[in-house]
This record gives sequence, C-alpha cells and structure tokens, in this order.
Amino acid sequence: MSASLVASLSSRGSIINVFEHFRDELDDYHDRRERLIKSSRDVTSLSKKLIFLLHRTMNEDLTEHDDHALSLRAAARAKPKLQEIQNLFANMSEELPDDRFWRYQRNISPGLQEYIEALSFAHYLEFRRLISYEEVQRALSDETGKPYFPLPLEDYLLGLSDLTGELMRYAISSISRRRGRSKASEVCMFVRGCKADFDVLTPYFRELRKKQAVTAQSLEKIEDVAYAIAVRSSEYDIPPELLDDIVDRTVSNSVHNYDGDDHNRRRRGGRAKDDGFEDVDDE
Amino acid sequence: MDLQNLEYINRLLDKDVDLREKIKDQVTELDKKTRTLSGMLNKIHSTPTGQLPSLIDSVTPYLESCRETTAALAELIPPNQFWRWKDMWSFSLRNAVFSATLVEFLRNGSLLSLSQASEVLGIKDEWQDRFALSAEDYLHALISLVNELSRLAVNSVTLGDFEQPIKISFFVKDLFAGFAMLNLKNDTLRRRYDSLKYDIKKIEEVVYDVSLRKLAPAKLNRE
Repeated sequence: MSASLVASLSSRGSIINVFEHFRDELDDYHDRRERLIKSSRDVTSLSKKLIFLLHRTMNEDLTEHDDHALSLRAAARAKPKLQEIQNLFANMSEELPDDRFWRYQRNISPGLQEYIEALSFAHYLEFRRLISYEEVQRALSDETGKPYFPLPLEDYLLGLSDLTGELMRYAISSISRRRGRSKASEVCMFVRGCKADFDVLTPYFRELRKKQAVTAQSLEKIEDVAYAIAVRSSEYDIPPELLDDIVDRTVSNSVHNYDGDDHNRRRRGGRAKDDGFEDVDDE
Repeated sequence: MDLQNLEYINRLLDKDVDLREKIKDQVTELDKKTRTLSGMLNKIHSTPTGQLPSLIDSVTPYLESCRETTAALAELIPPNQFWRWKDMWSFSLRNAVFSATLVEFLRNGSLLSLSQASEVLGIKDEWQDRFALSAEDYLHALISLVNELSRLAVNSVTLGDFEQPIKISFFVKDLFAGFAMLNLKNDTLRRRYDSLKYDIKKIEEVVYDVSLRKLAPAKLNRE
C-alpha cells in the first residue's frame, strides 16, 4: 500500500507528538467557539434591547397621531443600534475566514436570528414590508459589499418567523391608539401573508415548523382582538373617528405602562376597550 | 414576501436540497463499503494469527475502493462548505478510518497517522475546504480501534495466540498516553474517551492471565 511510504507511528514518543498537535487544534477550536458564543450573546442582548426600543418609540408619544412619523422616528433611532450590532458581526467575521464559518454556524445562529428579527422589525416599521434575503445579506457586509459571511437561509427564515411575534405585540399595543384598529388589521393581513409564505417552506426546516405554531398563535391573538372590536363597534353606531376619540381619552394612561408581558398587555387592552364603552353608556 | 425574494429563496433551497440528495447517495455508497469492510474484519476474531496476513490482503482492495467515494464527495461539495455538510458522512468516514487503522495495526503493529489514513482513503490535501479528515473524526476512529482490540486480545488467546494480547497492551497504552494529552470538553469524544479505561482494564486482565500461566514468551516484554 502506498501509505506505508510515510512512516507510521510505532513509538510512544511519536504518538505523544502527534497528539500534542491534536491538542493544539482542539484547544483552538474550543477557544474560538467560546469567543463566538460570547459574541453571539452580545448580539442577542443588543438586538432584544433594540426591539424594545422600537416598541417604546411606537407607543411613547400619544400626541403624535401620524403613525408614519413615529415609524420614521423608530427607524432613525434603530440605525445607530443596528450599526453597533453590525460591527460585532464584522469582528466575528475575522474569526471566520473561508471554510471556518460553517464550522461555527450553529454557535452564532442564535444571535444572528435575533438580529434579523430586530432588523426586519425596523425595516417593517419604515417600509411596511418584509426585508428580503438579499437586503439582510447586504446589511451583513462591509462597505465594499463583501459579506462578512454567507447568510444561512435557515437563520434568515427563523429570524423572520420571530418577527411575527413582535408584530402581534405591536398591533395589540397600538390598538387603542388613534387609527390603531386599521393598523391592527393591516398587521393582521401582513402576518397572515408571512404565515402562508413560510408554510410552503416548513418541510425543509425542522425549526421553522415549531416556530410556525407560535406564528399561528400570534396571528390568532390579533384576529381575536380584531373580532372583538368588530363585534363591539357594531353595537354602537358611531363613526370610527368618534370611537377613536372616546377610546383615546380613556386608555391613554394605561398604554404607558407597557411591561412586555403578553398576557397582561392583552388583558389590559381588553379592559381598556370595555372602559371606553362604559363611558359611552354613562354619557 | 414579495415574489422576487420568494423565487430567490426557492432557488437557494432547491440547490441545497439537490446537493443534499447527491451527498446522501454517496454516503450510502460509503456505508455499503464500510459495512463490507467491518464484516470482513470481524473474521480476525476467528482467524489464527498465521492466516491474518492473507485476510488483511483480501481486505485492502475494499479499503482502497473508498477512494472513489471520497473523490465523488469532494467533487460535490462547493468550496468552503466542508463543515456545512460534514456531519452527513462523519459516521461512515469514521468507520472507514477505523478499518484502515485496524489493518495497519494488524499488518505492522503501528498506528496509522491522520495523514496516512487520508492517503489510504484517497483524501487529498487540496480538498481541504471541501473534503478532509478532521482530527475529531480520526480520534473517534482510534477509540473504535481500541474497543475492537480489547475484543481481539480476548479472542486471540482463545485461538492460542498468547503474544497478541501483549502487543495490543503496549499499543493501547501508548495510544492512551496520547489521549491523555488532550484537553477534552464534555462532548461525545470525551464520553468515548472515558470508555477507554474499561478496554484497557480488560486487556490488562488478559495479559495478567497469560503471564501468570507463563503462556507468553518472555522476549516480548519491552526491554
């Protein structure tokens, strides 16, 4: 056999020698892995903060009735934060030249997905549409347009899948705002579209299937709220603008106490509506 | 999602699905070969030491036939995507490497190095970013080798070869000393490494039984 041309390892010394080499290689792998996991966590934490910032911005100013102006304000605030996260990816890319990226892909994908969630939320608020694969890849590239690393399709889709949860929150917490109901139904349509698009892709990604269940739940929450409003507004034969005024007056305070908990928020939203209608009764 | 983006995604997806299928076919091929190999090598437990060389010679062509599969895989994998797909064939490749190292031990009593193992299986250096033998897979194969040798130590005594357990004992102790050099994390390699001590214990017991009864020639004991 041609292999016997190269000396095989027959003494303990030579064996120890090659294992020392393996040790260096394994150590390098484990250390790099740890560093990347740490960076990925930093990305996750910054992305989560950014998502909260976006929600806050969309709800903070009750005197601002132009939703578009709020969205632009949110998008403008997001820019520097997104840049901060992109810089983290730039640093990570130095650890991941050539074929190394795919070795560590699983270690950085949690952060990457969270970032895509934040990025796509900011993108939605600004443009009212879903960010494309190529747009995300472009965001993950340096000034010359060279990608930091190839964007895995799975991370792109899973990040977007999380976006639906944020949109549900956004729709429900803005429902008591002026024109919030039409906003909610707009979001509802959008999330419905996302779900339909993703349904086609679920056979290829196991994780996506799980997330689709969550998306379905989010969608149902928005639909329930839309239903409740439709039913109740039909009881009172008043134009939507007048209803806006009534709701606006009664609930403006409770919206401020946004605490990030789904259940509470949903309940509060429901009660706020009831209060609004009771006011109508009193008058 | 707009149509253009959806089409783009579907194109990417189709490409990946197609590639995955092709890789799977090759892995099935490799699996067939490694299964034949381990079937043949199983006979070492019932073959008298004198007849081992001819058994080993008959195995060699099958071992070398793995080269076609590794070449086919290297052809399939896009540049820089070795680590993306490697999990698909790791298991089969480890089996092939295990057979190669077992053959080398039985033939020369020595350890087949990683680069030698690559050479036996036709894995070329220039494929580095597409198809390579990783240290991890090589080390897994070595642990399988020790598992197998502890069995051989027992069975060679049954067949009347009292020298083999002593040779195995030296070899495995050297290997174990090598493994002790590694800083292992809590992963599968670590768990399998932990199993080595039971193999060593088993081999030691065989050596003890053989020496106690003065069955093995004294010259084999290392100076």
